[in-house]
Amino acid sequence: MSADNTDIVRVDFAFKRELAQKIEGNLANFCYQCGACVGDCPATRYSVAFNPREIMLKVLYGLEGELLGESSVLWECTNCYNCHERCPQEVKPVEVIISLKNMLADRGRAPAATDKVIRTFMTSGRTVPDNPAINKQRAKYGLAPLGPVPMEEIHALLEPLEDEGGGS
Amino acid sequence: MKRYAFFPGCLIPARHPAMEFAIRSTLSKLEVEIVDLEGTSCCPDPIYFKSKDKESWLAVAARNLCLAEDLGLDIFTNCSGCTATLSETYHLLKDEEIRDRVNQRLARIGREYRGTSRVRHIATLVRDEVGYDAVKESVVRPLEGLKVAIHYGCHLLKPSRIMQVDNPDNPQVLERLVEAIGATPVRHANWYLCCGKACQNEDIPNKMMHDLLATVNDEEADLLGMICPTCFGQFDHGQMKIGKLYEEDFSTPPVYYFQLLAFAQGVPYDKLGFERQRFKPVALQRYEQAAAPA
Repeated sequence: MSADNTDIVRVDFAFKRELAQKIEGNLANFCYQCGACVGDCPATRYSVAFNPREIMLKVLYGLEGELLGESSVLWECTNCYNCHERCPQEVKPVEVIISLKNMLADRGRAPAATDKVIRTFMTSGRTVPDNPAINKQRAKYGLAPLGPVPMEEIHALLEPLEDEGGGS
Repeated sequence: MKRYAFFPGCLIPARHPAMEFAIRSTLSKLEVEIVDLEGTSCCPDPIYFKSKDKESWLAVAARNLCLAEDLGLDIFTNCSGCTATLSETYHLLKDEEIRDRVNQRLARIGREYRGTSRVRHIATLVRDEVGYDAVKESVVRPLEGLKVAIHYGCHLLKPSRIMQVDNPDNPQVLERLVEAIGATPVRHANWYLCCGKACQNEDIPNKMMHDLLATVNDEEADLLGMICPTCFGQFDHGQMKIGKLYEEDFSTPPVYYFQLLAFAQGVPYDKLGFERQRFKPVALQRYEQAAAPA
C-alpha cells in the first residue's frame, strides 16, 4: 500500500443504496470474505471468471463497473443455491447476485433468453404458451386442456408500487 | 382421503403430459385426492423472471398461493423450480414489510396473501403423508434388480433452511422412494452437481453435464431417476447433445420418478409416454414380460 493512499478503493455508496432497495440486496454487508461459498460453487469449478466471494467483495466496495457491465459475469451463476447453503453469515450470495441481476435488468442489460421468457409470460402467463398441439397431446393421456390464465390480474400485479423509482 | 391443491406449473403439463398423467394415476392409488387449482399462472420461474424483477416475481407467486388459501388447502408441486419459487415466497412473506408490499399489489385484484397454505414437492408429500410402506404396498410389479442412479437436482433440497426437505449433504428421500418400488438406488460420484440449465452461459453447463454424465455412466445403471422436469430435459435432449459434443457414448435413460412408480403399480409401459424420450427406459420392459399372463 503506498503512503499517499492512491490504492484505497472509494466505496460507491450510491450503488450500495440502490442495491439495498432490492429485496435481500443488502445482505452482502454481513460478508466477512471467508470463502465458504467458493468451495462448493459449480460455476467457480467450471469458469475462470466466476467467484462468489470476489463478487461479494465488489459489492462491499460498490464496484458497479465490474459488476453491471454489458457482459456481466453474474449470468454465469448456475442458481444452484450451494452458496446460500454454505454461508455462515446468511449472506445468501445467490440472492445478492439476483438483486444485482435486477439492477442489470433495470439498465436494459438482461440477456436475450431472459427477455424472451418474460415476453412469453407477459402474453400467456406461462413460460410454455398454450397451443392446440399441447392440448391434443394432453387428451392422449386423458388430461383436460390447459386452463386460462387471467392475464388482467397478472398485469395488475406487475405494476411497481408508487414509491419505487424506475423499476423494470 | 387426504386432499391437496395441485400446482402443475408450466413444463410438466405442456411438455411432459405423461408425467402429469403418472402423478394423477399414482396419487389416486395412494389415497391422495388431487384438487385442481383454477387460474394458476407460471409459478413464476425462479431463474429468468426472478432475475428480472424479484418483487414482481413474489407478487405473482403470492397470487398462486392465494388460490390454494381460498380453498383452505396445502399445495403440492411437481417441479423443483415451482417448489423453489413457491417455498421461497412462503418463507419471504413471513417478513411483515415484504408481505405488506406484496399485499399492496394483491389488493389491486381484490386478493390478500395470508400464509396459510404450506408448499411441498410431491416427493416430500408422498414421504410425509403417504409413507414408504404404503408406496411399497401399492406396487404390483416390484422392479427387483433394476439399478436406478439418482439425480436430486438443486432446488428440491437447497436452501435447506427454506425447503426443509432433507439433509442436502446426504439426502434419503429419493433413495427410499426407489427402494419402495423394489429397485436399487445408486449414488454416482457427481450426484451433488447441478444440471447447469439455469446458467446463462454455453460452455459452463456443457462441462458440468459432461462430468455428471460421465459418473452416471460409470455406474452402468438401467436408468436415472429424478423429480424435476428441467433436469429431465438436460438428461434427455442434453445427454444426446453432450455425447455428440464430446464424442462419448452416454446413454442412461432419464425417468421422472412418478412414471416409474406408475409402471410399478401396473400401468403399461406403452401408456407412459416413454416413446417420446430420446433415451427410452427399455430395461423396464422385462418386468412387463415377466408379469404377462401365460
